[in-house]
Amino acid sequence: MKNIFFKILIGVGIVTVISCNKSLDTKPTQSIDQTVALNTSSDVLVALTGAYADLGTATFYGGYPFIASELLANSGELNWSGTFQQFTQINNKTIPVDNSFVANTWLSGYTTINDVNNVLSALAVVEPGKVDRVEGEAKFIRATVLFDLVRLYAKSWNDGDPASNDGVPIVLTPTLSITADNQVTRSKVADVYAQILKDLTDAEAKLPVKNGFFASKVTAASLAARVYLQKADYANAANAANRAISMAPAGGFSLKTAYADAFPNNVSANTTEDIFAMQVTPSSGNNSFQTFFSANSRGDIQINNAHTALYESGDARLGLFYNSGGSRYTGKFDYLYGNVHIIRLAEMYLVRAEANFRAGTSVGDSPMNDVNVIRTRAKLPPLTIAQVILAAILKERKLELAFEGAALHDIKRTQGAVAAFPWNSPKLVYPIPAREIRANPNLTQNAGY
Amino acid sequence: MRKILILFLCICITYIQVNAQEQTVTGKVTDATGAPLNGAVIKIAASKATALTTNDGSFSLKVPAASRYLIVSFVGLEEMTVAITGKPLVIALKNSSNDLNEVVVVGYGTKLKKDVTGSVVSVGAKEIGNTPATSFESAIQGRAAGVAVSQQNGKLGQGINIKIRGTSSVTAGNEPLYVVDGIPLTTDNLSSNGAASNALADINMNDIENIQILKDASSTAIYGASASNGVVLITTKKGRAGTSKIDFNYFTGLQKPTGMREFMNAQQYVDYFKQAGAGAANQDFLAGFYPSLASALAAYDTRIATRLTRYSAGNTDWQTAKVNTDWQEQSFQRAPLSQYDLNFSGGTEKTKFYISGQYLDQTGIIVRNRFKRYSARFNVDHQMKDWLTIGINLSFAKTNNFRVSNDNAFSTPLQIVALSPITPLIDPRTNLASGALDLATGNPNTNYPVYYNPLLSVLDASYTTSVNRTFGTTYGKVTFSKDLYFRTEFGIDQLNQVEESYSGKLTARNSGVPNGSGAYRTTQVLNLTTNNYFNYKKTFAVKHDVDVLLGTSYTSRQFDFSSATGEQFPSDSYQKLVNAASKTGASSSSTSSTLLSYFSRIGYKYNDRYLLNLTGRIDGSSRFGSNHKYGTFFGVSAAWIVTDEAFLNNVKWLKTLKIKAGYAGTGNDRIGDFSARGLYSGNAAYGLQAGQHPTQLANPNLKWEITYGSDIGIEAALFNNRVTIEVDYYEKNTSDLLLNKEIPGTSGFSIQTQNVGKLKNSGIEVSLNTVNVRNKNFSWTSNFNFSANKNRITFLNGQVLGGGVNKAKEGEPLGVFYAREFAGADPANGNALYYKNSPKADGSLDRTTTNDYNAATDVKIGDPNPKFIYGFGNTMSYKGLDLDILLQGVAGNDIYNGGGQYMSASGSNGYDNQTTDQLAAWKKPGDITNVPEARLFYSNGTDPSSRFISKGSYLRVKAVTLGYNLSSAILRKLKIERFRVYVRAQNLFTITKYKGWDPEVNADYQASNINQGVDFYSAPQLKTIVFGINIGL
Repeated sequence: MKNIFFKILIGVGIVTVISCNKSLDTKPTQSIDQTVALNTSSDVLVALTGAYADLGTATFYGGYPFIASELLANSGELNWSGTFQQFTQINNKTIPVDNSFVANTWLSGYTTINDVNNVLSALAVVEPGKVDRVEGEAKFIRATVLFDLVRLYAKSWNDGDPASNDGVPIVLTPTLSITADNQVTRSKVADVYAQILKDLTDAEAKLPVKNGFFASKVTAASLAARVYLQKADYANAANAANRAISMAPAGGFSLKTAYADAFPNNVSANTTEDIFAMQVTPSSGNNSFQTFFSANSRGDIQINNAHTALYESGDARLGLFYNSGGSRYTGKFDYLYGNVHIIRLAEMYLVRAEANFRAGTSVGDSPMNDVNVIRTRAKLPPLTIAQVILAAILKERKLELAFEGAALHDIKRTQGAVAAFPWNSPKLVYPIPAREIRANPNLTQNAGY
Repeated sequence: MRKILILFLCICITYIQVNAQEQTVTGKVTDATGAPLNGAVIKIAASKATALTTNDGSFSLKVPAASRYLIVSFVGLEEMTVAITGKPLVIALKNSSNDLNEVVVVGYGTKLKKDVTGSVVSVGAKEIGNTPATSFESAIQGRAAGVAVSQQNGKLGQGINIKIRGTSSVTAGNEPLYVVDGIPLTTDNLSSNGAASNALADINMNDIENIQILKDASSTAIYGASASNGVVLITTKKGRAGTSKIDFNYFTGLQKPTGMREFMNAQQYVDYFKQAGAGAANQDFLAGFYPSLASALAAYDTRIATRLTRYSAGNTDWQTAKVNTDWQEQSFQRAPLSQYDLNFSGGTEKTKFYISGQYLDQTGIIVRNRFKRYSARFNVDHQMKDWLTIGINLSFAKTNNFRVSNDNAFSTPLQIVALSPITPLIDPRTNLASGALDLATGNPNTNYPVYYNPLLSVLDASYTTSVNRTFGTTYGKVTFSKDLYFRTEFGIDQLNQVEESYSGKLTARNSGVPNGSGAYRTTQVLNLTTNNYFNYKKTFAVKHDVDVLLGTSYTSRQFDFSSATGEQFPSDSYQKLVNAASKTGASSSSTSSTLLSYFSRIGYKYNDRYLLNLTGRIDGSSRFGSNHKYGTFFGVSAAWIVTDEAFLNNVKWLKTLKIKAGYAGTGNDRIGDFSARGLYSGNAAYGLQAGQHPTQLANPNLKWEITYGSDIGIEAALFNNRVTIEVDYYEKNTSDLLLNKEIPGTSGFSIQTQNVGKLKNSGIEVSLNTVNVRNKNFSWTSNFNFSANKNRITFLNGQVLGGGVNKAKEGEPLGVFYAREFAGADPANGNALYYKNSPKADGSLDRTTTNDYNAATDVKIGDPNPKFIYGFGNTMSYKGLDLDILLQGVAGNDIYNGGGQYMSASGSNGYDNQTTDQLAAWKKPGDITNVPEARLFYSNGTDPSSRFISKGSYLRVKAVTLGYNLSSAILRKLKIERFRVYVRAQNLFTITKYKGWDPEVNADYQASNINQGVDFYSAPQLKTIVFGINIGL
């Protein structure tokens, strides 16, 4: 009896000990553990693709920050008639701190930054032939996200001292756990711009000139041009835009002959003019411009006469407007699965023109020639040298890039106004989302909220 | 049926007794009070010899000389085995349900009820058996204090919620742990149609001997991390030594809805929508859309006439209300149910067996709803050696559930009430069901009737869930000495489920697919458990009783899922996916978890009156974070049997008085299998290229929710056990509630599952059993139970959870209703008014009203949690007749009619038919009413508000059984042991102020811990009447 007793006891003991720790380590199947996700070169490459997917969510480069830029800058050229309270509040410049679009754009931005920070942390396992491209794309993505965040959630560069104005937090390392270190503070506007340009410089150096629909050397230079223009560094803006235009042919980029062709309404493919566009297919990606601007979708944003009256007669760009149910809509975003245009080559001509004009230089080409490239394409007579004044360049820019998301940022850097709101009104800056301040008391709220 | 019966009678009659030598045993049988019992059954183990006591309780029985024991039984009393001594016997049978010497299962062993120090409630086979319901939880409802049972709706085999002493979790599982014969059951919802299914419906409730519900923390602590919500221990039937029994049970009957709602008839509908048109016309005119009121009215007249003509199948019958369809009636069907049970049990001192088979065929009250169950069980125990007993409990069940869509689907039958009474069932233009064919297109109509006609789904859609379930335990028990044994158990619960659905061409308007769509989904669950424990029980120096349990347990759970979907079928004759022209989806996935435990329980009893119980358990779970792989749980409880003290010796009326108290910490491990891990997911494709991205942040600190519960109670038996009372007060403080806590978005994540919340339950339970009358011919016993639970969330990190009107909010009970407070119709103009309720500077609320919904603030408008629940059971027997009546009720809760915005919306939210109470709508200035002016499409008062709140209290005649037992004389002639016929009614009658279908409701598509007490076209409960027989051989 005793014998049996001890055999059983020992048996049970052994079974238990063996099964013990090992048996408590079950593995997920739909997802994989973060510790094994970035083990190979191909793991990192798909993680980079995943970062583009997160970049393209509706609340980020699916279009929300750009639509918000148009609505915040709206002083009557657009009519917002949607039922989404969040955009109603943005259009009215009465944004509560718990506006969920404001919260979600912040979240999608930093989700994407964390994605690329993970990629950048695993460069060591990437095949040597691909590592530069991967690093370049990741840094480009980080730069472009930070740029849109700092433009929306912080004072404009030219509003006071960027070295002392709060920008947005700069996060350069992947988040693997939540600690006190995650209670980050807001970096200064100037520091954020410096980080953006540092990333873009790296990206432009490392990226290939041609890279399919992913970011290329041309893309990095183009974004740099945008950033320099925003901080009124005209010499660098002209240089960067010039680099983009000069590299464009090698990158496979060229202006479409007809303006309308830059906005195809039946294919989900980049046009040759899309230096960077978010890919949309029936199974992935979002085109929020289509959701809100197109009569084929919600059609919440109609175009008023105040806008169309700005065009000269004969402007080919007028041809894109259409009427539906008694309202006027822009035809730029009519295709449900159309890619989201982020940077078009046309913008680079306008940046170079403006930057050269303001700097008094002619890097690449003269402002007059650059503006006329755009005007000619719009079937308008070229401007004479006498007609090439800043206002003309800016107006050309406004019409060429209408509704694509530049409106608010142009008003700010040119110190214009949105109806009664001056360019530096705190109401034209997003609040820091309430949830962020709840979760991280180190974040300061913007003035006016 | 009849054949089986005849067969049994034949077997019985041809049975020949062969007795060699005989002795005669005489004696007298009484009840606990000493009153003689007439008709008590005296039997001999392993023999056919039986006798019944006469009027004075005496009996005389010839038995084989070798017989040593008599078995004495009487309906309602505990069966006794009595040694034959040669002298006349005096046998006093005890009242079974009240007896403190009853053995109760307490988890890894048993205890005498007398020795139990915690709070345990027991429901036996007598209460559960032959309940005409799909699953056994229905049979518990109203029978146990502190156990709230509520069924979401009247669809068969669907969600039933059991809350033991309230809800202790906001986001993790809230259901108790179910353990059958020592093995935890899979109870997960495995449904994919948006409405939970009930995995407990696979259990044949006639196999259940006993259900013990462990309620307080010190009792459940032995189940450690799985114990916070209470534990339900189910013991299946076993054979008894010396018996050889065949039991046949059969019942058949009909079910009906417990209630109906009143909707407008054709004339009312037509008049009402003309009125709604006029109301809207006035608004349009006021808004300046028309130059004059007359022109607006004229425009609306035309518009409404066009619509009514459309809904009247294109003709003008609506003008005369010629067609008056009662659509509600169409969603119900004749609903018979029948159940057949046959079981064999018996055994010898060494081997005992129980074999059963059951067939249940239940047609639902809702069209297309049907549930069938086939089950078989084989339980056997055998004593191999003096020191070794082995056994197996094995059950197989196959269930087929023909289901309907969830409450939120246009295709769910009860949404039919939205259709217009002027719409004919059969479209005279096509002679087909309305909506089946649009002659203009050759396809089903897209705008006739008002909505998709759910009857088209009855004609041309199916959703079948088939489950094959095997669960079983094998065990071995090694007895080392009379004090020490070791028991090892190995159990499986294997569940294979196939869900197959098809929606044919007729359903195109609903499915959005023109030529049929189908789906095939499989779920495989394998749940393995092994328990191994030692038990040592010894009495030292007469007065010191020690009972020690020490063991380990290991459970692994594996779930595998797959699904495939297809569209475009050649015709409705082809419903398998192989025929689908377009295979639209395929998926497979799996998940798993493991739990490794060590447990111990030490019981100490001094002088039979001071009891102390210590419980400890260590649980290691794969679900927990790496820093908290193992959790330790302790419990302590003590009791004092006061009546054993000398100072109470002279208090004769007080038979037993026990005072008890307990305290323990228990856990809730029902969190996601991988919630603690840092995860990447592969669902980040971009531009048709595969991508991955981080989706979840690791939380190595993630662990169980913990509940510290205390309980104090008394148990008393008075007046010779004629009255027993149990009173308990408890408090349960739950902390480390799992919460999706907001984290800085700059981390790349918005939330992390953390243990941060806190909530509290406290309550009182009273259970009173009385023997009101017991004499020769008549006995009457009652049970009354009452429980009041108060639930309050104390900390949620400042967050408010809940997407609908139900919220989880600090300082409030879980699931409290939050919305605007409705203030009726503005007497001046019929506008819906709301109280502003915005806080004023002095802290009070602004009680002025507004018709601007956005200018009003959400306030608490109700609470879905009952203030108390109660049950009142009465059992009477008079000679061969027995009558059992159970009343059950809940009080103090509210119900929110989520469908109110459509069905009780004063015609302001579309052409849905309206409940008749909407006829009271405001019509002219000065009208004082709670129904705002009818304004077609003007949403006048249709937004969520207290307008749709009702009181949810109800008192229900839950079960009534009237039975007749064939007299013993006839039984003897027929040589059968028992023959009973009965009629039983379930949910016979309900008293409530709730105007909906039934106050026991929670819309199935949205039910969750937070979402409670919402009615949304939810099917009413079943009112059932069955006739049954029980035959025992």
